[in-house]
Amino acid sequence: MTTSAQADPDTPRPSRPARRYGTLAVALAIVVGLLLGYAGGLLTPRLTRPGDASVEAGFARDMSSHHAQAVEMGLIAFRSSSDPAVRQLAVDIATGQQGEIGMMQSWLREWGLGPNRSGPPMAWMSDGAATMKDGLMPGMATPQELERLRTTQGRDHDVLFLELMIKHHLGGVHMVDAIVEHGAESEVIEAATRMKNTQQGELTNMNNLLARLKGAPASAEAPQPHHSN
Amino acid sequence: MSISTPGGDQRRPSVVSTGKKPAAGAKPAAGAKPASGGKSAGAGRPGAGKGARKKIAPVKVSQGRSWGPIALFTAVGLLAAGIIGYGAWASFKGSRSWEERAAEISGIVNYRKQDPQLVQGGNHQQGPIQYTVLPPVAGPHNAAWQNCMGDVYDAPIASEHAVHSLEHGAVWVTYRPDLPKDQIDKLAEKVRGNEKTMLSPFDKLDKPISLQAWGYQLKVDNADDARIDEFIKTLRVNASVEGPTALCSQGITATGTTPRDLQQQ
Repeated sequence: MTTSAQADPDTPRPSRPARRYGTLAVALAIVVGLLLGYAGGLLTPRLTRPGDASVEAGFARDMSSHHAQAVEMGLIAFRSSSDPAVRQLAVDIATGQQGEIGMMQSWLREWGLGPNRSGPPMAWMSDGAATMKDGLMPGMATPQELERLRTTQGRDHDVLFLELMIKHHLGGVHMVDAIVEHGAESEVIEAATRMKNTQQGELTNMNNLLARLKGAPASAEAPQPHHSN
Repeated sequence: MSISTPGGDQRRPSVVSTGKKPAAGAKPAAGAKPASGGKSAGAGRPGAGKGARKKIAPVKVSQGRSWGPIALFTAVGLLAAGIIGYGAWASFKGSRSWEERAAEISGIVNYRKQDPQLVQGGNHQQGPIQYTVLPPVAGPHNAAWQNCMGDVYDAPIASEHAVHSLEHGAVWVTYRPDLPKDQIDKLAEKVRGNEKTMLSPFDKLDKPISLQAWGYQLKVDNADDARIDEFIKTLRVNASVEGPTALCSQGITATGTTPRDLQQQ
């Protein structure tokens, strides 16, 4: 620009409007560039966050419902069990999973999504429809099983609670494995991994408690998926 | 001591040898400098030639400016306007609240607008309560809520408990007792296993099916009506007064229209 300014006296008229036009164009380019940058900044988080049909949203919604039943069973056992170890574990599961429900519901709000899915449950998992049994997600107790849990007492109640919760946790771990494999949102994968660690620790403790209640020697072995049967 | 002195001897030659290598490498570098100097001298010649070109160049540039940059800036401007416009549209559409979506369900009655006092929140009250809207959509209620973990009740339940469930974000689906069994089964399929919903018959209903959420009601004639799913999707949990972590479990699981007061100690 400075070299052309020095040359101006040689070519008087035609360069001056051109130069003014040039500064206007540069100013316009800067304004347009800033607007584009601003729009890009606004849009990027909107376009990169999980959408309504994403596996993350599916996991957050279905796991919230799945957790809600663990809270239900945990609080029933906390109220009804006479075994201090069972009550302690039951309230730990109930409050822990209730907290996780709040976390997952917050994700959905942050992503601008509602708490309710559009399609059937478990549609976010590739084998989702196959895992559903009588409208229940994997590992979930039936209304009849819950009714028995509410009405039994003593050792029968504790054994039933542990069996139902072990089955529930194994189903939950199955769902967690799916989101860890197919999810892309690091916050979700981290939380899901934490859930799996917690539930696997609880599975070991529940299997030991169950063995004690059934009179067998306690074992520290990892739980087997077939155990619940 | 004896180790440190050989170490010191070893360091010195290494310093000397590394000092020599750059010195040896500096010679070709110095030889390259005249070459680069020759380039700068060559670059000076076109610079000197600029004065001769200037007379032609402004004319060419001014001719190009009239169309090239205008087309470019128009294209960029349109692109920018498009992106900004899309962003504004997307944020407008994405930010549409569940209240706005609820208002679009045809036939829905919004008692939050009609009777703001009714939907303020629920005082806990013992014994039977007279509700003006039937089935009730809000108002005072029993301290205990009806279990709303996707429970399917085959007999009428107490409104005093059901209203408390609505406060916790449940959608309560009710049907006239004479509804055909296949219709009831279709409703049960929507509710079973779907926590924060429940289903029960309701005596003297003026329509075959009525859906309730806190402050909202929709009456339909048929279980196949698409607005049922729309109502549940829009209002389940969202209509909760207490947020998404309000409990639906630990409620009353028994049927019967007489409220069960919690025993006082």
